[in-house]
Amino acid sequence: MIGKAWYPIFLREMLLFRRQLLRISYLFSAMLIPIIYLLTFGLGLGGMVQIKGTDYLNYLIPGLVSLTSMMNSYTWVANALNLNRLYFKNFQVFIQAPIQPSAIMIGEVLAGMVKGLFASGLILIVGFITTRNLSITPLFVPTLLLNCFLFSSLGVITGMITKSHEDTATYNNFFILPMAFFSGTFFPVERIPQPLQAVVWAFPLTHANILIRENSIDLYALISLVVLVLYAIVFFVIGSRLIRDYSE
Amino acid sequence: MIEVTGLTKQYGTIKALDNLSFRVERGSVFGLLGPNGAGKTTTIKILTTLSKPDGGRAFIAGYDVVEDSVAVKRLMGVMPQDNNLDRELTAYENLLIYSMLYDVPDRETKIRWCLDLVDLWARRNELLMRFSGGMQRRLLIARALLTEPSVLFLDEPSIGLDPQIRRQLWDIIRKTRIEGRTVVITTHYIEEAEALCDHVGILNKGVLIALDTPDNLKATLGEYIVEFVNDEGKLIQQMCKDREEANNLVLCQDCEVRIRKTNLEDVFVRLTGERIE
Repeated sequence: MIGKAWYPIFLREMLLFRRQLLRISYLFSAMLIPIIYLLTFGLGLGGMVQIKGTDYLNYLIPGLVSLTSMMNSYTWVANALNLNRLYFKNFQVFIQAPIQPSAIMIGEVLAGMVKGLFASGLILIVGFITTRNLSITPLFVPTLLLNCFLFSSLGVITGMITKSHEDTATYNNFFILPMAFFSGTFFPVERIPQPLQAVVWAFPLTHANILIRENSIDLYALISLVVLVLYAIVFFVIGSRLIRDYSE
Repeated sequence: MIEVTGLTKQYGTIKALDNLSFRVERGSVFGLLGPNGAGKTTTIKILTTLSKPDGGRAFIAGYDVVEDSVAVKRLMGVMPQDNNLDRELTAYENLLIYSMLYDVPDRETKIRWCLDLVDLWARRNELLMRFSGGMQRRLLIARALLTEPSVLFLDEPSIGLDPQIRRQLWDIIRKTRIEGRTVVITTHYIEEAEALCDHVGILNKGVLIALDTPDNLKATLGEYIVEFVNDEGKLIQQMCKDREEANNLVLCQDCEVRIRKTNLEDVFVRLTGERIE
């Protein structure tokens, strides 16, 4: 029975998160990179650029929100699991408890989503302060939730397969960082050279960036939605199986 | 209560467990004694579902630890060798999360009972990072008892503890045994195995090399050991079946001689030619 078995795992993360929030370093690290991007690309270059007939800031901020949700959902889950598994050994407690592996997965993913949504909310607040024309589309919130779910699940996968804390940084450098820059956060994917576009279209963040700016579900948005949902399911299933097959 | 048959586990080229078999009766205290790297923790990890064996099977109360792992988990409490408490949570929060994972009824009462047992109720709202190592070990055993388990696994429970705290821990383990729980304890402390265990299995390099009661194991050597340093400066140990034989041996020596009772370390040395610690 999964039932409420996920709740203690979620609650543990929230109790830890509440204490992290009291430290200035947490807020700083959650917001630092997106704010730097906002200042550099948005406020620095924004006045000189228009994309798809709109102010650059209006284009950039939804992208920064999906970027922030990705980075925070993914990084906090991957790092926490990695540390809990390899260094603090807290993960043993979950494995030895009489609960299903999917309950551990749900608890970790929901906690990752909360962290991703929190950091995204902060960026959104900054966005509303810096531009008056920022519009939130109807697909904004569902996309944000889906993106957080997807990247939290991916964080579980990374947290479960890494053999050292350094490994997590390697995955960040090879997968997360390129995704952050080339997935349509700062400029449309169509501007990327054709041969690279095939890779970029395979990135989940590309589809999150498309969907988060859409007003309604047209064919273009529908494809992105399907891709995101498929990624979310696949990552969730793989993460659950890695937990199920865990052995020290 | 526990039945282990032909358990094997390999890490790379190292055979951590080699065809390990033993039984533990319900309500008894079973000790696995051996040096670091003997395979004690690997055994506990398999029995507590943390590690999957490469071969062999293990049952707890008739449940297979691999195939019926959730049923096994409901029966057991674990005090691990590594401190896996959350240092950024309070003592109370640690036990609260644990009690929720095991769906413990009447949580508040049980948490209070456990914290009282280890004299930590007054400090329940302090973060663990402010607790001493001994306090954290006490909280670990309290957590293991929170679910009132039928089987208690204690992996090197008194490692790093000062003698006074170690005695307190032993008292808790003895009380647990009186309550009818089965206890499996790993240790490399001779006196701990002798003080607590009904049966002791001696592990060396993944192989169970002896298994019996502490008294029977020691009886294979004799009750006393006479120690003296010979002319070449080498420590000589002679086993004697009783005090009379030991006294007679002492009379034959013209150097300083010491008589002492045999212990499980002597058994280990006799079986392996090496010391435990």
